[in-house]
Amino acid sequence: MAQESTADKNVPVIELRHVDKHYGDLHVLRDVSLSVARGEVLVVIGPSGSGKSTMCRTINRLETIDSGEILIEGEPLPQEGRELARMRSELGMVFQQFNLFAHKTILENVTLGPREVLGQSKEEAEKYAMELLERVGVASQAHKVPAQLSGGQQQRAAIARSLAMRPKAMMFDEPTSALDPEMINEVLDVMVELARGGMTMVVVTHEMNFARRVADRVVFMADGQIVEEGTPDEFFDHPKTQRARDFLDSIKGH
Amino acid sequence: MGLAELLGTYGQNYLDGLLATWSMSAVSFVFVMVLAVLVTVARVSPVAPLRGLGELYVQVFRNIPGVALLILVAYALPQLRVVLPWRTCVIVTVVLLGSAFGSENFMSGINTIGVGQIEAARSIGLTFTQILRHIVIPQALRTTVLPMTNLLIAVMLSTALGSQVPMTPQELTGVVSYVNTRATGGILAFLISALGYALTAIAISFLGNRLDKRVRVLR
Amino acid sequence: MSLRSHGAPSVRDALYEAPGPRTRRLIAVGTTVSALLVCALLALVVRQFYVTGQLAPRYWSFFAEWPIWRFLLQGFVGTVEVALTAGAIALVLGLALMLGRTSGVRPLSAVCRVVTDFFRGVPSLLLIYFFFLVVPQYGIRMPAFWMLTLPVALAASGVLAEVFRAGVNAVPKGQVEAAYSIGLSRWKTMRLIVLPQAIRYVIPSLIAQLVVVVKDTTVAYVVSYPDLMQNARVLITNYDALLSMYLVVSVIYILINFAINKASVYVARRTGVKIIR
Repeated sequence: MAQESTADKNVPVIELRHVDKHYGDLHVLRDVSLSVARGEVLVVIGPSGSGKSTMCRTINRLETIDSGEILIEGEPLPQEGRELARMRSELGMVFQQFNLFAHKTILENVTLGPREVLGQSKEEAEKYAMELLERVGVASQAHKVPAQLSGGQQQRAAIARSLAMRPKAMMFDEPTSALDPEMINEVLDVMVELARGGMTMVVVTHEMNFARRVADRVVFMADGQIVEEGTPDEFFDHPKTQRARDFLDSIKGH
Repeated sequence: MGLAELLGTYGQNYLDGLLATWSMSAVSFVFVMVLAVLVTVARVSPVAPLRGLGELYVQVFRNIPGVALLILVAYALPQLRVVLPWRTCVIVTVVLLGSAFGSENFMSGINTIGVGQIEAARSIGLTFTQILRHIVIPQALRTTVLPMTNLLIAVMLSTALGSQVPMTPQELTGVVSYVNTRATGGILAFLISALGYALTAIAISFLGNRLDKRVRVLR
Repeated sequence: MSLRSHGAPSVRDALYEAPGPRTRRLIAVGTTVSALLVCALLALVVRQFYVTGQLAPRYWSFFAEWPIWRFLLQGFVGTVEVALTAGAIALVLGLALMLGRTSGVRPLSAVCRVVTDFFRGVPSLLLIYFFFLVVPQYGIRMPAFWMLTLPVALAASGVLAEVFRAGVNAVPKGQVEAAYSIGLSRWKTMRLIVLPQAIRYVIPSLIAQLVVVVKDTTVAYVVSYPDLMQNARVLITNYDALLSMYLVVSVIYILINFAINKASVYVARRTGVKIIR
């Protein structure tokens, strides 16, 4: 499945061009254009209801768009069928609520995709799955079902489930928002590791320290628009827009 | 009439009645499950007329009284030149009633899965049929063990409708009316049938609980 | 609880994702074909009515006459009387059975459990035959009303006992502990703290159980009690219009029960509780 050699290094892994989306009367995405380069870690921040989660979810078509274009390695995102499923298998997605399959063990959660989608044998899939579970630190929980794990463990297992597909890029939709405070770091640590390893990442989060430490670029969204983007230092120390300044002030207040 | 005399005279009737109740319940339940799946498929399908038909089916058959439906099937259908054997009439009635409730059970089973798991399955590249096979159907089945156990008991109880048509052999309730219109069987005549139902219900319930403990999905 | 849980899309809608152009075409074709099939089915039914002569005016015209409806209405009043009386008895009996079962007094609890399981595990028709055929053998003369109402009530009481128990179990444990800690006795805790909350939880389920009661009353003809169904049977012998009359009566029952179910769901939504079945 590895196609990195054929892919042009200069083509963005993910690109959104003039994306618009409405929920009824609500204009949730307004002319959003964005591109994510190979190996780049993009952190999306903004107040709740700013459209950042929606934007993240449009990338693998969990949300449809009304107009504009979404390209994955220069190819338009397929709209349905096997082509869409294949494209999704190459993009990892981590959810706020973990969304592990409740009736399967952690190991089965991680091997389901490789076995069903990539056609790997049970042994092959399990071997790699155990490696990944080791890496995220939940190997000892492999034979338990999700409900027996803590939130932090579940989220790390969910990351392993995505990694098992050997994705080209990973999307994180507020991965720590549903976690108790003491578990946030164990998940962020795994994400930092991933970023260091050169994974292309889009991270929607409220964790400003993570953004500052790991992001190559920060995108600030409000009211469905990208208001500002820049390096973490530029953005956090010298925000250009009043909206960004207000937002940063509001979270500092906490 | 003492127990010995009662069983001596009518023992065979009770035994036949118990077997008739059991066999009708079993046959009905199989069809209930099949039909419930089909109705549920229609109700969750993206095809509007099928959805509507499925909804109508469920609303009609979960709200119609069993006796009214039995009379329609057994006595009104022949006027449309659809004549079924008595036993079949009862089974058809029980199946129509039961499948509406079975579909309701499946629907709530599907709804407990949660949108998130389906999105997660989609995200790792599973196709629609793979999602059904690996995520939706297994969980829907495992979470509906208890409701379906109760449904099986309800199906068994509704086979008592068989007492309202001249069916042979009679089922347990029919036997009670048969015995008591011929002799003064007293409370015993009633209790034998009642225990037949109640003990079967307890056994079904026991097995259902054990199965549920084994396959329950922790949440 | 996630924020999204408010007005979250149901799994039913999530099962199929937003269709692409190819899927949309497929759905359109499926919609057309299935609509045609439904129409064909309907046509077939109407045709069967027609060829068997069931559409003839003599089967339907009497529905335009007020005395017919007045007689049916009288039957309906009978149905309501039985259903409400049986419902009220079942409510009291169900509550008593539940209280007995959760009383902590071993023998009482065992007896209540057996009684509850018995009434839940026996068809209401069998109970009706008990009151109709067996009770008179002991020289007890009962009016038809009670021969119908008592068995319906007994059958429902078993189910209601379980509904009440589920309601009691739904009351948070902390409530009971708090009540004990301020020195309330077991019975006072039940009466003052647990029951009021439990009853609030089960009101929608109680309303939904009324459907079962209404359905059970339809065997009134066994004891010749003039309910809606029995009065319909009387009309059928007068007008020789079996199919049309039973169809209309069935639709009436379906509408009544549909309304009761809707009321139950409405109350459940208003009060934010789940319906226990």
